[in-house]
Amino acid sequence: MAEYSTQEDHEMSVSTPTNIAEVKERNRALIQEVLSVYPEKTAKRRAKHLNVHEEGKSDCGVKSNIKSIPGVMTIRGCAYAGSKGVVWGPIKDMIHISHGPVGCGQYSWASRRNYYVGTTGIDTFGTMQFTSDFQEKDIVFGGDKKLAKIIDEIEELFPLNKGISVQSECPIGLIGDDIEAVSKAKSKEHGGKTIVPVRCEGFRGVSQSLGHHIANDAIRDWVFDKSEGKAPNFEPGPYDVAIIGDYNIGGDAWSSRILLEEMGLRVVAQWSGDGTIAELEATPKAKLNVLHCYRSMNYISRHMEEKYGIPWVEYNFFGPSKIEESLRKIASYFDEKIQAGAEAVIAKYKPLMQAVIDKYKPRLAGKKVMLYVGGLRPRHVIGAYEDLGMEVVGTGYEFGHNDDYQRTAQHYVKDGTLIYDDVTGYEFEKFVETVKPDLVGSGIKEKYVFQKMGVPFRQMHSWDYSGPYHGYDGFAIFARDMDMAINSPVWKLPAAPWKQDPDYVAIAAE
Amino acid sequence: MSLRQIAFYGKGGIGKSTTSQNTLAALADLGQRILIVGCDPKADSTRLMLHAKAQDTILSLAAEAGSVEDLELEDVMKIGYKDIRCVESGGPEPGVGCAGRGVITSINFLEENGAYDDIDYVSYDVLGDVVCGGFAMPIRENKAQEIYIVMSGEMMAMYAANNISKGILKYANSGGVRLGGLVCNERQTDKELELAESLAKKLGTQLIHFVPRDNIVQHAELRRMTVIEYAPESNQAEEYRQLAQKIHNNAGKGIIPTPITMDELEDLLMEHGIMKSIDESQVGLTAAQLA
Amino acid sequence: MPQDANQVKDHFSLFREPEYKELIANKRANFENRHAPEKVQEVVEWAKTEEYKELNFKREALVVNPAKACQPLGAVFAAVGFEGTIPFVHGSQGCVAYYRSHFSRHFKEPTSCVSSSMTEDAAVFGGLNNMIDGLANTYSMYKPKMIAVSTTCMAEVIGDDLNAFIKTAREKGSIPAEYPVPFAHTPAFVGSHITGYDNAMKGVLEYFWDGRAGTIDKVARVPNGKINFIGGFDGYTVGNMREVKRIFDTMKVEYTILGDNSDVWDTPTDGEFRMYDGGTTLEDAENAVHAKATISMQEFCTEKTLPMIAAHGHETVAFNHPVGVEATDRFIMEVARLAGVTIPDELAKERGRLVDAIADSNAHIHGKKFAIYGDPDLCYGLAQFIMELGGEPVVVLSTNGGKGWAKKMQELFDSSPFGAGCKAYPGKDLWHMRSLLFTEKPDFLIGNTYGKYLERDTGVPLIRLGFPIFDRHHKHRYPVWGYQGAMNVLVTILDRIFDHMDATTDGIATTDYSFDIIR
Repeated sequence: MAEYSTQEDHEMSVSTPTNIAEVKERNRALIQEVLSVYPEKTAKRRAKHLNVHEEGKSDCGVKSNIKSIPGVMTIRGCAYAGSKGVVWGPIKDMIHISHGPVGCGQYSWASRRNYYVGTTGIDTFGTMQFTSDFQEKDIVFGGDKKLAKIIDEIEELFPLNKGISVQSECPIGLIGDDIEAVSKAKSKEHGGKTIVPVRCEGFRGVSQSLGHHIANDAIRDWVFDKSEGKAPNFEPGPYDVAIIGDYNIGGDAWSSRILLEEMGLRVVAQWSGDGTIAELEATPKAKLNVLHCYRSMNYISRHMEEKYGIPWVEYNFFGPSKIEESLRKIASYFDEKIQAGAEAVIAKYKPLMQAVIDKYKPRLAGKKVMLYVGGLRPRHVIGAYEDLGMEVVGTGYEFGHNDDYQRTAQHYVKDGTLIYDDVTGYEFEKFVETVKPDLVGSGIKEKYVFQKMGVPFRQMHSWDYSGPYHGYDGFAIFARDMDMAINSPVWKLPAAPWKQDPDYVAIAAE
Repeated sequence: MSLRQIAFYGKGGIGKSTTSQNTLAALADLGQRILIVGCDPKADSTRLMLHAKAQDTILSLAAEAGSVEDLELEDVMKIGYKDIRCVESGGPEPGVGCAGRGVITSINFLEENGAYDDIDYVSYDVLGDVVCGGFAMPIRENKAQEIYIVMSGEMMAMYAANNISKGILKYANSGGVRLGGLVCNERQTDKELELAESLAKKLGTQLIHFVPRDNIVQHAELRRMTVIEYAPESNQAEEYRQLAQKIHNNAGKGIIPTPITMDELEDLLMEHGIMKSIDESQVGLTAAQLA
Repeated sequence: MPQDANQVKDHFSLFREPEYKELIANKRANFENRHAPEKVQEVVEWAKTEEYKELNFKREALVVNPAKACQPLGAVFAAVGFEGTIPFVHGSQGCVAYYRSHFSRHFKEPTSCVSSSMTEDAAVFGGLNNMIDGLANTYSMYKPKMIAVSTTCMAEVIGDDLNAFIKTAREKGSIPAEYPVPFAHTPAFVGSHITGYDNAMKGVLEYFWDGRAGTIDKVARVPNGKINFIGGFDGYTVGNMREVKRIFDTMKVEYTILGDNSDVWDTPTDGEFRMYDGGTTLEDAENAVHAKATISMQEFCTEKTLPMIAAHGHETVAFNHPVGVEATDRFIMEVARLAGVTIPDELAKERGRLVDAIADSNAHIHGKKFAIYGDPDLCYGLAQFIMELGGEPVVVLSTNGGKGWAKKMQELFDSSPFGAGCKAYPGKDLWHMRSLLFTEKPDFLIGNTYGKYLERDTGVPLIRLGFPIFDRHHKHRYPVWGYQGAMNVLVTILDRIFDHMDATTDGIATTDYSFDIIR
């Protein structure tokens, strides 16, 4: 693995491309270079996932949502991660059973930072790991009886839970357990309690993405259909909206909600960060669904549009430019009062945003960023970087579909951006080595790889234990953190001075 | 002599367990020390040896005890006719769980606990087809070296035999498993012997023995005994003894099977006049339509 | 407006501002349909009672907050301890993403591992093609010296046969005929991560010693004077392995560490990403068969490996994660006996320094009651040390400990008056522990990061020792084995005790008479 040169080095380097044509050429050559290491069949398949974006194209020119190739070190997760880890897990007053062996629930235990308020273990269960801890006998004889018993034990020991979901791990689908039948029977037995079987076995689909879809469908079938006719515990009003697809990582949903409320809207539900079953049930009464993570919750939004006639609108709360645009777009679904409210909010935060930009832009302008994340972030955060004068030179989705790449191409990326879908560990390392960005934004598995190479890094799933990054309040933190990463004094230290000093090198060679 | 590991496979209801137990009883009469590992959730692979309805299975005992690690070999192994050691893997009720995994669990347990020490033969009696990876456990490397497929002249039995051959082929190249031969358990269908022999030929193997139908088998079964024990002087007992001797002499003579396609199998049946070649235009037409 | 560009507030302070407090309260009051606070408080109190504990211990099926992970995690741990080795986990790909994240969160290091990415079709047809393609890709992209294969529960349920699959992959040219690919079946529904470590370690050694899965002849053992050392699954592996090597070097013992992951999980930031670093060389792994004896530092991590090694003619000795003076004494003396060396005075001096430290500080530990949880061997080592310090373990709980472990723990408690009131809890989880903390009222809790929830709920201060430690950094760099390691453990325990003393005596004009400057 080659050395990553310092900033000074690569500014002087003759190979650094200086115009867009050179950038494109360099990126194309880079793609060919990484493909050359693969066996022929794999190179052919991977070639479809790598591209250099051409301005004006309606998508990024890559295939997506296709099976990962064995043995290449994909960064992707599984359907269970998409359902339990993303969609269902944050519903705080329900108990989510990781149904199967102990590992899946253990590794995903409290690691996603879906903030909530509640008494954990009593009326709230977010940072807990409930598992059926399958043993060999459960595999051989089937796990349905055990599941039934687990539900009874939950009811006894956690009487304030408002519902239960059964998050299937791989073996459930393989051994043919009938978790739907158990869920129905137990729901009846426990006074109509919401018990949701979710068929999100990890081998289904090609990534987390199918898990989101399955989880959305489970809400439709086991929450909406069941609660139809049930009155919400509030009087519906003209300005009711639901936040869809915000998982409240580090408090993101709260720093978003505050803006919607300030503009005069009433947020009746949060999906699913800091969310409750009551909020899920009430959502069909909302006037508009505002959708942040399109990838993980477009399915249920479309369903509510079809069935209940609720329109939905995508928004982006990263960085002042996109926030401003989004607030106006959301307001356009309402009357003048709300539209004036949006303008007032924009005006109110303008000085703060200006102060943040004034403080951080001089330290960050011109810095290059490479991203590789999931959900909406490979495109949504680009605006926030640009607000700080930074440039995203490469991006890719862990589990995006073609509609994600279309949105990316049409609204976000610049000409010549390197695009990599379902990137492999090897490709990502090579890309960064050659493109030499000033910052990489990706996940925990990638963080230390790039830091070792001397490249500043921020985790863009967990906000590196910081956050929130959404909303105006979040942008200040985002800017601070990016500055902290890029301008940390540690990045002057990786190279030992005597290895840089020709005199020392000469002495050592003698 | 080193340990010989064999397995009996065959379509359900073919008389596989009866054939295997009679054959193994005859092998015991030859002085061989034998372990039977029943790999059928019905757990009927050892009943004739034990004069029992069904013995407690490894998996049911493990479920009771908590896990398989809590069991001792003595808990699961019963001694039957001529000191034949008998274990049943067992498995779930029909329609639940994963019986295939149960086979893996049981065989791992037996190996780890020394069940294979001081014996001459291990015989696995395996349910039906090689339906999934678990039921292929006995044909993995260092398990059964020869597979004997119990079949008859019925089309489905032959179909199953061909399928089992496919399973063997899958493992034959990487491991050492071979097809020992076909055992035809007479059903008195048309041209049964002829059919069985030509299927064996197509598969590249031999019809190792044709076991004639005899009511004495049922008489013995009612008393939960093998014919070898119930009526050692009968003709049928002699048939089983012959089969046992042939298997005993068949060590290392197994082959890698050459399974055939469904079309070839149908051709075979047609060749022998079991299935009539029909006009393709008549396929899917009801009796009324044809009339 | 709560945010300020000059003093940026993040989640620690932002949500404590009035605007956010109001937002959160309104959300709760209007839309969440929560239980009344009195009802919540009633259940909070009920969950502290003996009655609740009894119900809690009656649980037969539900597991809540277990302190164990699944087999393949342990297999990955063992595999990366060999030179240039990449773990290859056959089954669903999501599992591998989880193992990599889990280790990275603990060690703050990259963990390279690949998956065969089996999906629905492979569930039906078996994963042979995934193995063939996967090995070929891994081999050509990452150029490992060895690929160590293990399995997820998916591959185990459908019954994929690793041996046959790998052979077929060789025949199809995915990897060269002679290329080392040891393997172990590691079903997640059997045992825990320590079982996976055991299976994988056994798999690697058997592979090299017994003819590389039938590809060559068995290695004929020619006994030499060397000692093999196996650490077991250990969150302190970076510090411990280096300390053990230092001790062996000091003692002039000839040794082979089997599974040395101290370098791969402690690579420098110097501009280069090292996917592989250090580890037991494959040559050493093979030659380890000739050793005179093999030591396992963790008996319950090597339940299958050690008997296999013994069957190859080695004398084997197992410890239970020895921590403290007496446990280390036994370890050092056994090593000296097996290797036929004398114990250098240097170690006696180190020992003396540890005893000195204990003599200086034990008064702060003496008579204090401790609840301990973790992997079975770690629990044993820590309980033994606590007793040596004059502390009293009252609850020792191991989710992945069995009946044999509980019996062994009881023997330990019976060996000292300081263990008189203690009970071992095999197979229990941290929700059981929560009840025990309320009813048994220990002074301190020893456990991994997840113990912080217990500390929050019960007020029992947590001393972080175990795996994983996600919320404190760099602990894995410090050994807990050897006399020096015990010193680190002692200091960790003391720091928390002193911090707790200060935190409970700092009431101005109420308790601060005990807020001593000297302790």
